[in-house]
Amino acid sequence: MQPVDFTHSQSAHCESGVCSNLLTHKGLPMSEAMAFGMGGGLFFGYLPFIRLHNLPLVTYRAAAGGILKHFANAPGFTMHQKQFRDKEQAVAELDAALAQSIPVGLQTGVFWLPYFPRALRFHFNAHNLVVYGREGDDYLVSDPVFPTPVRCPVADMTRARFASGALAPKGKMYYFTQTPQTIDHHHFITEGIRFVCKLMIGSPFPLIGVKGIRFLAKRLEKWPHKLGKERADLHLGHVVRMQEEIGTGGGGFRFMYAAFLQESATLLQDPYLEQCAALFTQSGDTWRAFAASAARVCKDRPREEDTYQAMAATLRECAAKEEQVFSNLRTWLDDQQ
Amino acid sequence: MESFEQELLELICTTCNLEMPEIQYFNTHAPLIGPESVLGIDSIDALEIAVTVQQTYGVRMDNENSSRDVLQSLATLSSYIQKNI
Repeated sequence: MQPVDFTHSQSAHCESGVCSNLLTHKGLPMSEAMAFGMGGGLFFGYLPFIRLHNLPLVTYRAAAGGILKHFANAPGFTMHQKQFRDKEQAVAELDAALAQSIPVGLQTGVFWLPYFPRALRFHFNAHNLVVYGREGDDYLVSDPVFPTPVRCPVADMTRARFASGALAPKGKMYYFTQTPQTIDHHHFITEGIRFVCKLMIGSPFPLIGVKGIRFLAKRLEKWPHKLGKERADLHLGHVVRMQEEIGTGGGGFRFMYAAFLQESATLLQDPYLEQCAALFTQSGDTWRAFAASAARVCKDRPREEDTYQAMAATLRECAAKEEQVFSNLRTWLDDQQ
Repeated sequence: MESFEQELLELICTTCNLEMPEIQYFNTHAPLIGPESVLGIDSIDALEIAVTVQQTYGVRMDNENSSRDVLQSLATLSSYIQKNI
């Protein structure tokens, strides 16, 4: 089977990376930041009723699959997506697509991918990658978090595709069957921003968007009293780990969104978006300052200023900055009508 | 080891509360972060290093120049800072 001529680019986050690589392959060159922003990837949610390792779920980006879904539902795009019950059928359909020179996106469980260093494997079942060929018993894989393409035995990939547990992929494979010849940047940028604005400042639900950040701040400052130091530090570590490790590192989703706004400013020749990008970078810096303070507490080397009250204040600062940016963006959207 | 690399190594050790290794035996191209880190630095430490570098040298590690790439080794970090300072 001849491998597809597929250009691999490393990215910070798997889903936006796969989306960017698949669209670029279809002749629509797109940076990861642009795929993230157009796909409405930014979010904040503090959902204590959903437990992850018995700790409340905190998320800094849209639900897994949200970015791809955004493009799949956009005018001019169609995406073939399929899940399976039968492993053999899942392998056969993947191989059939590869035989037609179609690079295929897969949802997988990280833990079962042997090319990941052992220490970095964990049970996360929404890891996206692209398979672009098969040589003997190996798939040729463009895994966006790796600097170069990798190989993965068919048996291991099949196991990863059928990992069980939360967000079980059930063999999910997908690829674009139709894409427009060109992208209407203005339309996609405004729609992407509108979607995120609605979630970040337009939702009445108190646990998401800037309200959610403030809710977390309120909870966080009570943790030492309510949970005791050990559990409080555990909760804090979880908040930072979700911010720093599940995704892009260092408040990275905020920086990625700022990069999207910056790129949009250039594409649309609109300096207002550049101002918004600069403000959003400041938000990323504030998130990073929060995370650094929390890291010192978790690592048992706190400075005098690293208190739960101070960290809650920093979170409120993040909320204020993001509220400001999304209010500005909403005004900008109104002007686009 | 260049003097700037030594300065960086001292900064990293102070930030992460680590004992300074013997400079003559330190491989500046060895992995800095992760399971094979020569200093035993994890991603939470990496975050503090990113913040300290930004505060000390005014050099940001953002999405465009992912901290994962920059923090591969002391040599890559040193080169990135010197290029962007």
